[in-house]
Amino acid sequence: MDFTTFVKPSNGGGDGGAGDADGGGQKLQFWKHVEYIENHGKQEDDYEYCMTEFLRMSGIYWGTTALDIMGQLERLERKSIIEFVKRCQCPNTGGFAPCEGHDPHLLYTLSAIQILCTYDALEEIDREAVVRFVVGLQQPDGSFFGDKWGEVDTRFSFCAVASLTLLGRMEQTIDVEKAVKFVLSCCNQTDGGFGSKPGAESHAGLIYCCVGFFSLTHRLHLLDVDKLGWWLCERQLPSGGLNGRPEKLPDVCYSWWVLASLTIMGRLHWISSEKLQQFILSCQDTETGGFSDRTGNMPDIFHTLFGIGGLSLLGHSGLKAINPTLCMPQYIIDRLGIKPQRLPRP
Amino acid sequence: MHGRVKVRTTEEERERKKKEQALKVRAYRAAMGRIQKKRDAGELDNEMLSLTVQILLRNPDVSTLWNIRRECVLEKLSRLKEEETACETPGEEKPEEENQTVEDKTGEEKAAAEDKSHSIFTCELDLTEQCLMVNPKSYNAWHHRCWTLEQNPRADWQREVQLCNKYLKFDERNFHTWDYRRYVTGKAMVPAAQELDFCTEKIRVNFSNYSSWHHRSLLLPELYPNQQRDRPMSEEKLQKELEMVLTAAFTDPNDSSAWFYQRWLLGSGAQLDRAPRIAAFRLESHGAILALDKPYPDITQLKTELVGGGQTILLESWLPVDKRGTSWKCQQNFDYQRKSTYSLRLSDQKVDLLPLSGSENGAYYFAPPHGTASCSKDLLAELQTQLQSCLDLLEFEPDSKWTLLTSALLMRAIDFSANHETSLAHLAKLEKVDSLREGYYKDLAARWTLEWELAKWPQSADFPKRFDIADDVLLESLPYDQYLVIADEITLPNKLRDKLGESVPKTFADLKLQS
Repeated sequence: MDFTTFVKPSNGGGDGGAGDADGGGQKLQFWKHVEYIENHGKQEDDYEYCMTEFLRMSGIYWGTTALDIMGQLERLERKSIIEFVKRCQCPNTGGFAPCEGHDPHLLYTLSAIQILCTYDALEEIDREAVVRFVVGLQQPDGSFFGDKWGEVDTRFSFCAVASLTLLGRMEQTIDVEKAVKFVLSCCNQTDGGFGSKPGAESHAGLIYCCVGFFSLTHRLHLLDVDKLGWWLCERQLPSGGLNGRPEKLPDVCYSWWVLASLTIMGRLHWISSEKLQQFILSCQDTETGGFSDRTGNMPDIFHTLFGIGGLSLLGHSGLKAINPTLCMPQYIIDRLGIKPQRLPRP
Repeated sequence: MHGRVKVRTTEEERERKKKEQALKVRAYRAAMGRIQKKRDAGELDNEMLSLTVQILLRNPDVSTLWNIRRECVLEKLSRLKEEETACETPGEEKPEEENQTVEDKTGEEKAAAEDKSHSIFTCELDLTEQCLMVNPKSYNAWHHRCWTLEQNPRADWQREVQLCNKYLKFDERNFHTWDYRRYVTGKAMVPAAQELDFCTEKIRVNFSNYSSWHHRSLLLPELYPNQQRDRPMSEEKLQKELEMVLTAAFTDPNDSSAWFYQRWLLGSGAQLDRAPRIAAFRLESHGAILALDKPYPDITQLKTELVGGGQTILLESWLPVDKRGTSWKCQQNFDYQRKSTYSLRLSDQKVDLLPLSGSENGAYYFAPPHGTASCSKDLLAELQTQLQSCLDLLEFEPDSKWTLLTSALLMRAIDFSANHETSLAHLAKLEKVDSLREGYYKDLAARWTLEWELAKWPQSADFPKRFDIADDVLLESLPYDQYLVIADEITLPNKLRDKLGESVPKTFADLKLQS
């Protein structure tokens, strides 16, 4: 659908719940964001768009997920997106590249699977080939390479189990016990958090990957919830925004990672939801739509998903519920019959 | 995209920028097109290397281009090897007296080949260095550097350590550099003590450096292990670290880095993968109930044995009592003999059971959650000095969040029971001065309250059959509830009982009825 022919409903309305002022201060610029995402990528010659082609698959996942959370998925062309995803599956390895002409990688394989799940189109691809790709990247110590070039990172452990979970193929594929052991070896005694590899400093983004990993493998009991939860809630700054490590600036994407981790651990009440909502809303670009990392910065599609996703987790009206583990609409997770683990509030 | 401020620009500027960007897009597309064509044709040559440089210098995140460079490197290396083996095969037709010179020649050629491979590696290392100047947080550039060094049997790891020193001067919080540092110091076999010195120096220059504190926390348990395993490191070293960290923390009480480190120092140093321990156990002739100090969903993996009355009975077919995997019941019949003493074995832990008082048959075990760690006189004196410093600071700055929290933690480390009321008062104050985390402090207060209540439970009348918490005790939640499964009757504050509703913990009596 071309945006020029799209007439914006006046005064919000519809089931979009535009302009609900439940954040105090700024209102959610609902239709501006819809417009921003819809237009993203229409200008193929746009410099930013071109320079980010190396992560296109993830870009599409960010856009489709945000639109779906806003109930506006039909604004994008399902067919052409599925065709694009299919073209990116590597015929040799079974993994997905971010776009044509690039190499397959676990990061984009997860994004591709997430997009296909959103469109209920998993049957369009060779699923067994994807399973082989993921299984082939597991190492003897349980860790995962991102691709054949050998980079190891807990992000890839998450991508592997998330992809297999969405494909319904966690059973009898990878060595889950070893995978768990590796991720546990990346836990830091000082703060209960996780880094990208054993010994690496705790970082909210990687904590999200590891907490998500334990949620998918149903091993949340292995976490030191009190220690980690404290470190995570200490990420909230007076602005209401959350940072990713001590003494760093707040950021909408870290806000999602911390918020989602706390939600999975049943500790959402350890931060102020109200203040966080205010911060996220302050990062909207009220002119162009979209969210930026911090108030007053340039918006991008990545922070737009995490802004919308964060508001959804906080229960903002007019948005569909999001699953904190997989960062996808809950109705899709239900449709797939997947139940990532979550701890109850104490 | 991070940290890009939105700036207002004039129409003119925007146009100029647009044109500039259009040119860049065209150049990028042309280079990518050429690269793909060459790759399809298997042309992994010098032109390929220079084409990828153009793009990577601007955008080191295009991972495929690094992959292509690796293909080029491998191609070049295998060519070199082919040339080398081609040189090694001759000799047969040559007369014997010339053999000496042939060997010399191959030696020379080998050296030349090594120089060639060295220059291949240097080229890659130089490029990653340039890219890291553009984007010091590029995962791809860091990984390519590691990959290159791994290919080179003569890699200079010491030089890499120096590089880290340089990069940490630019940004002492870049976690990529720290990760790389841990990797290369391992390869260069830098002694842990030397790394600790580096760390101390970093902290001396700027104590507000969580990354340095983190690095330190990895080295100390290795260099100064704690024999009892109830502290993160030896008591002697712990005392020195406490002194150091408090000085740092007091320099700017609002900086969180040192306070986090201090809370770790005051903790138990327990490992995440530590096996669960027996929290509470009760036995009677037709069944038993077991509570663990931490969840363990698959109890069948732990061997549970009852030893006594001249026999060892394997306890099997445990059923969960709660959803968390912290308490379990077993409906097995025993020939319980009142006069015998019993003990319970859970994996490698063995505890002695005590007989129930009164006329009832049965035995139990109970270990409250707050264990007291070993504390030498010197360490205790240090903790008391620190507490006094904190309390002095609070005189001047009564709302200082970190001082409030830390003094409560110090009080508990010194004597958690005697300081119970005061430490709770600090939490109540923290709910106000640090209201963002009100919910956290409430839950922490509940934990501390239960730890206190459970610690004094064994001294109460009717232990372990009755557990009472007075109605005026403020509790938002009921942590450690698995410890209560050995009681027959539990009295909780009414407000909490209403709040818990269905999730009021099961008692031994409840469970007996079900059996």
